Amino acid sequence: MDSIKPIALVALLVFLQPGLGVYGQQTSPLISLSEKNVPLEKILNLIKEKTGYTLLFDATWARLAKKVTIQVENATVEQVLKICFKDQPLEYQLANNAIDVRVMDTLRGRTVNARGEPVPSATVQVRGVSWHAISSDSGYFQIQVPSQGTVLIISSISYEPQELPLTGTNKVTVQLNDRIGQLSDVAVVAHNGYQRIPRERATGSFSTVGSVLIDRGVSPNILERINGQISGLLLNKNTIVQTNSSAISIRGRSTILANPQPLIIVDNFPYNGNIYNINPEDVESVTVLKDAAASSIWGALAGNGVLVITTRQGKYKQEPHISFSSSLNVGNKPDLYYLPVLSSGDYIDVERMLFDSAYYNSAQTNPTHPVLSPVVELLIKERNGSPADKAAAEAQINALRGQDTRRDLDQYFYQHSLDQRYFLNLSGGSSKNQYYFSAGYDKDIASLVRNQFERVTLSGSNTYILCPTKLELSTSFAYTSSITRDNNSGIINAPYPYINLVDAGHALTVPAGLRQAYKDTVGGGQLLNWDYRPFDELHYADNKTHLTDYRINIGIKYQIAKGLDAHAYYQYAHGSSDHQNLQGQQTYYTRDLINEYTQIGQGMLMRPIPLGGIQDKGDTGYSANHVRLQLNYDHQLGPDGVLTAIGGAEIRDVEGSVNDSRLYGYNQDLQSSQPVNYIPFYAQYSGRSPAQIPYQDHTVSTSDHYISYYFNGSYNYRQRYILSTSARKDESNIFGARANDKGIRLYSIGAAWEISNEDFYRFSALPILKLRLTHGYSGNVDKSVSAYTTAQLNANFNSYGSTSASITNPPNPSLRWEQIHIVNMGVDFTGKDSRVEGSLEYYIKNGSDLIGLSALDPTTGNTQFKGNVAGMKAHGIDLALNTQNIKGLISWTSSLLFSFTRDRVTKYDTSVSANPNLDPGSIAYYLDPSVISPLVGHPLYSVYALRWMGLDPLNGDPQGWQNGHTSKDYKTMTNSSDFKNLIYKGTANPSFFGSLRNSVSWRQFSMSFNILYKFGYYFRRSSINYGDLFKGTRGHPDYDMRWLSPGDEKRTSVPSLVYPANTDRDAFYSESEVLIERGDHIRLQDLRLSYDLQKKFHPGLPVRAIQFYLYANNIGIIWKANHQGIDPDNVTSIPNPRTLAAGIKMDL
Amino acid sequence: MLIPLAGICFLISCKKDFLDKKPSTDLVVPSTLGDFRALLDNENVMGQTPGLGELSSDDYYLNYIYWKTKTSTKEHNAYVWAKDIYEGQNNVDDWDLPYQQVFYANVVLEGLQRITADSGGDAQEWRALKGTAFFTRAYAFYNLAQVFAPVYDSAISPADNKLGIPLRLSADVNPVSVRATVKQTYAQIFSDLQGAKDLLPVSIPLANRNRPSKPAVLAMLARVCLSMRAYDSARLYADNCLQLYNTLIDYNKVGSVPFPFSKNNPEALYQSNLLSKTEVLLAFIVPDCIVDSVLYRSYASADLRRTIYYSSTDRGAPPNLRWNYNSSLYLFSGLATDEVYLIRAECAARVGNTASALGDLNTLLQNRWKTDSFAPVVAPTAAAALDSILLERRKELAFRGIRWTDLRRLNKEGAAIGLARKLDDGQNPQLLPNGMRYVLPIPPDVLRISGIPDNPR
Repeated sequence: MDSIKPIALVALLVFLQPGLGVYGQQTSPLISLSEKNVPLEKILNLIKEKTGYTLLFDATWARLAKKVTIQVENATVEQVLKICFKDQPLEYQLANNAIDVRVMDTLRGRTVNARGEPVPSATVQVRGVSWHAISSDSGYFQIQVPSQGTVLIISSISYEPQELPLTGTNKVTVQLNDRIGQLSDVAVVAHNGYQRIPRERATGSFSTVGSVLIDRGVSPNILERINGQISGLLLNKNTIVQTNSSAISIRGRSTILANPQPLIIVDNFPYNGNIYNINPEDVESVTVLKDAAASSIWGALAGNGVLVITTRQGKYKQEPHISFSSSLNVGNKPDLYYLPVLSSGDYIDVERMLFDSAYYNSAQTNPTHPVLSPVVELLIKERNGSPADKAAAEAQINALRGQDTRRDLDQYFYQHSLDQRYFLNLSGGSSKNQYYFSAGYDKDIASLVRNQFERVTLSGSNTYILCPTKLELSTSFAYTSSITRDNNSGIINAPYPYINLVDAGHALTVPAGLRQAYKDTVGGGQLLNWDYRPFDELHYADNKTHLTDYRINIGIKYQIAKGLDAHAYYQYAHGSSDHQNLQGQQTYYTRDLINEYTQIGQGMLMRPIPLGGIQDKGDTGYSANHVRLQLNYDHQLGPDGVLTAIGGAEIRDVEGSVNDSRLYGYNQDLQSSQPVNYIPFYAQYSGRSPAQIPYQDHTVSTSDHYISYYFNGSYNYRQRYILSTSARKDESNIFGARANDKGIRLYSIGAAWEISNEDFYRFSALPILKLRLTHGYSGNVDKSVSAYTTAQLNANFNSYGSTSASITNPPNPSLRWEQIHIVNMGVDFTGKDSRVEGSLEYYIKNGSDLIGLSALDPTTGNTQFKGNVAGMKAHGIDLALNTQNIKGLISWTSSLLFSFTRDRVTKYDTSVSANPNLDPGSIAYYLDPSVISPLVGHPLYSVYALRWMGLDPLNGDPQGWQNGHTSKDYKTMTNSSDFKNLIYKGTANPSFFGSLRNSVSWRQFSMSFNILYKFGYYFRRSSINYGDLFKGTRGHPDYDMRWLSPGDEKRTSVPSLVYPANTDRDAFYSESEVLIERGDHIRLQDLRLSYDLQKKFHPGLPVRAIQFYLYANNIGIIWKANHQGIDPDNVTSIPNPRTLAAGIKMDL
Repeated sequence: MLIPLAGICFLISCKKDFLDKKPSTDLVVPSTLGDFRALLDNENVMGQTPGLGELSSDDYYLNYIYWKTKTSTKEHNAYVWAKDIYEGQNNVDDWDLPYQQVFYANVVLEGLQRITADSGGDAQEWRALKGTAFFTRAYAFYNLAQVFAPVYDSAISPADNKLGIPLRLSADVNPVSVRATVKQTYAQIFSDLQGAKDLLPVSIPLANRNRPSKPAVLAMLARVCLSMRAYDSARLYADNCLQLYNTLIDYNKVGSVPFPFSKNNPEALYQSNLLSKTEVLLAFIVPDCIVDSVLYRSYASADLRRTIYYSSTDRGAPPNLRWNYNSSLYLFSGLATDEVYLIRAECAARVGNTASALGDLNTLLQNRWKTDSFAPVVAPTAAAALDSILLERRKELAFRGIRWTDLRRLNKEGAAIGLARKLDDGQNPQLLPNGMRYVLPIPPDVLRISGIPDNPR
């Protein structure tokens, strides 16, 4: 294994501990003016000499007193004493020409948290003096306090700051309240992949989720862990691949045909691997860059927003810290009865009706021998057989009425899922070095029998100070290996709702492909068994994907001068995905294929596809080299200003490969295969036209090359006014030289005003208030387009065995990046006592030069042209609000996220179709959810419908509207080119969404739950389609509600059954507005209960700290707008079942 | 430290190359002989000809209910020669696909100009590719002209020269299309074929009959001349073709299997088929597409074509087409030797050479009839021979996309063949001889974007 070597090398680097001692930290708080640095006592004696004042004191104070530097001329005694006693743990009184000096009182105290456990390392300060104390590991502290009334201020990173008025006591216990939710989890620093930006210096829109919230869930996928934790970020449901929808979106949508996915940065560089390679336990924080000021540093890649994932690191001067966590997550079986399926009895009634109408007659004589359902076969027997046969067939049909395929699926194909997670990490550091190491193991047994996911992750990082304050070296690596077994798709290849799959543990034969009687007799017994037995298939399947992925980072930081650092970063990343699907000779797929091609003639049997298995392999891989050179500058500029700037250049080279291959006649034991001849055409038993043996080998390599230059700077004046700017230039190999010559320079500027730091600011209800405004550009790419006339080699040979190619693009020399202009306005605020904290933002996104299609005269040989011809606009609001509702023994905090987003296509050539079989001039194009059909003035993903005028009272026909009249001209209504007939119902994606998380804690117990909501969108539900029903492909329980007799139109909107089916009538009904539902719903996503113990509080505890927790996920819908029982996140799929996890976290 | 520095220095030093790297090996900027061959071997683009002519012809009729409810707009209207064929629908493959062939051919012709191939094998391939591109362009222009341009008439004076089709001779997509005259159209077809004739190999590529050869060009020239009613030239080209290649298949040796003729069957000179999206004509897949009864009855029972070409999927049902010269569901529309024999026979008859005409006819028929039942056709006069030949032409070349051109040509000769459909709703649409509806309208998107004039209907 070649890949082991670099890992071993870096692992070595990571664990090489430098053998250097601990560096002492120089503390010299006092000012040193040597000629005047004298004991306090001496000055007091001088005062006594010069003024004749009396000195009153005991002897203890002198050893506590600090030396004094003083330079005064013609000053009063009061002035002199004021200077002398500044910063002294002493008090004085001046009365009757006497100076009375005494030691301040010593206050002893303890800091504890709401659970009564000690809070170590809390800072204890006294208002008006300069010193402070730090609480010990047991929470104890002592500090000198003036005898006059004063205020104690206690602060700690993980807790709310606390102020305590002192009333002469000398012993206190201070209870600190946890910072919960974003109050604690809003990292004070955001990371944009290039630099850490202190939040108070930021002008742009950053949202950060820290480890506390990431660790709340138990999913192995980091994106699911942050679901509902970041405003404006949405995990999209019901996505359709053909429409270029993305699984995750940040602030809506701003591209049409180009890449819609946000950029994911892991450890400073864009991540090219699978998101499942990242163990969420290793993640320190996820920062989402939403506006131009935040994201334009990523330039032409940032148009869809940026997710910056930073992994955990050790800390300098921290003793070794080992922690361990584990969880066990049990899931229910998916609810197979969720999806609408026509009942067996109804289905059989329909089959009988069709049979009586001679519907199956042509199929019975069709030379292609199409498969017939078990009921139809029985009906044929009933028709042709003797009276005894008839009775037997009738009895069998009646038995089928009581059967339901889902029963066997549920029993034999599904199970409770069981996910196990184990994670161990070690971190720490000396003054010269910090380290982190982790190992994780996950095993998820899926709810589908024989499917599972197993993952091992290893990571480590080490940072050394090679030369104090000058040179720092950091190294890290991350390694992931996983195996996904996917042997069960959960569906079978037969649409009849009444078939049984298993009988007394034995797999049953199910009709599929060809008629069973034909299968049984054709070939005179020389063919392989042609039966399809789904339950056996489940056990024959051998389909797995092996992912490996590793990253190696090396970084060097060198301080050139004070405030000026040079950084060099290098990352090598490599990932591969090896998919292997072995379909042995016993599998139906392989037997079917071998049989179809078998040639029997003149007593000869020839098998062009040899006996043995079929092994499909699909290997994809990437390797990426990233190099970055960067200068960081951070310095005082002018008396009240600070300038922070970074600038640099980076170069990226990502090489990808795809390798698909197939072996026939595969023998797993020998690992051997047999050659086949792909060129000839072979006659098929199914009567299809002669065909070649499927050829699946395909190799592609890809190269993405980028060179980029970037700058990011901000100037902060008097902690009040902040100006920021960033700029970036990208060049890449995608566009050809001409686009690079012109270059693209994306920039942003931003400003912020910390109004609460102004002297005139007096609004005590909001002690912190900051306004922000930014504007700038980011970009996006579509790798499928090119500046040149490009052709693509076709995957298959032509029928003569030659390679062929298709021209995919006419030349487009003016091709360029998509540009997205973003304006962001925000306000950040914190209420009194930090009871309320939040931010509100409004943004406008304007996409121009978007890749779209435009029509060409077909006479040119091209009907369309993909270029920078489209435009989109979007705007929206993001609100994040955290409140502390109850403080004290019981603590209750809430975190509310609310987002509004609305996009609209502003420019698009509607005469071009994304699907050559559909005509965009017809409204049918916009009623088809499986094509991307932008219409200017509406959201990119819109739900359109046809007007519904109820059922015809005479015969139950659906009725629509055409030319001002109720109409039943279905063909015209569904294919009209008059767009007035197209009703815009609303957007298909939520307009309003967010979450509300509540956390309550009492002593060692904490409980939190997250409610997600989505509003303002629509979906189309399915209903009966008689054409599909007759074809046997899909029934629907709405059948039971169909119009049967006059008067039914008052209770139902399901049209009457007509035979033969009228496809236009079916299409009209399925596209009418009566099937449009509101998607609005509120869901209780999860609930977490935890119990924390710490050794300091429970000395008997064998570990430093321990947490037990229970976590329930996918709990259920609380409210939904539709009354059809449809989960709007799962319109066509089964919702994720509920899961319950039990877990433990330990600090050893 | 050194690795990244060295890396960055190396990469910056060759930045131009770094940014010129091809993003994917799947993407080809066509520039080599292999690339051009791959483009011309794309049978999804190259091997297809318009279906509107055959759809408008009288080889078949449709079950009324099927026609009424299941056919697409274009096919529905073409069947009854409606005034508006497309009803506003764009992307008419009958126009778009031949012009895509022209575009590919132009890309290849322009690309070849940038390559100098002087070494032996390369030079031969360079010539073959150039010939193929010329042939492809001529083939596309001819097929378009049969559907979208009036029939060629040498008698028309230049003053009322009718509009033909746009002749795009460069790959540049920017120039606006204009319609050439019919005369210019055929002149271009002629010059492209003449250009192809001597560049292409004399022998037929036996395993790649999608690639044209010199016999294919000659057969095409014969077909073009016949459609222009230039019978002398047609006879000459047909004769030249058969001198080089004259193989016929003896149907007595063809078994009763579903797809008796492969794409590389010995009669095929050049493979192409009617547009695969011509739905009503998908052989036996559409049992509602029925062979014209008169045509079907004209095959004698000892005529092997009756059973090899046709059968019915259901006992007692009317016969459907089941045969093809390409073992697929799509109708063969390419060039084959049987057609060339018939062209040579017809042209001989038209100049009064009865013996030669009947000779060719009987050579063909002897391969079509049961051997023991075959009796040679005799004819007392050249005119009688011509009638026999035209009848056999109708029977031999049915469902090959040739009938439409023949109808236009023969009516011009005065045959006065009128077409009519009998519909169950009592309507009886007709297509009168030499009517304007023998020229189909130009697709709406083409009219809209290019502004060229439509054909009068």
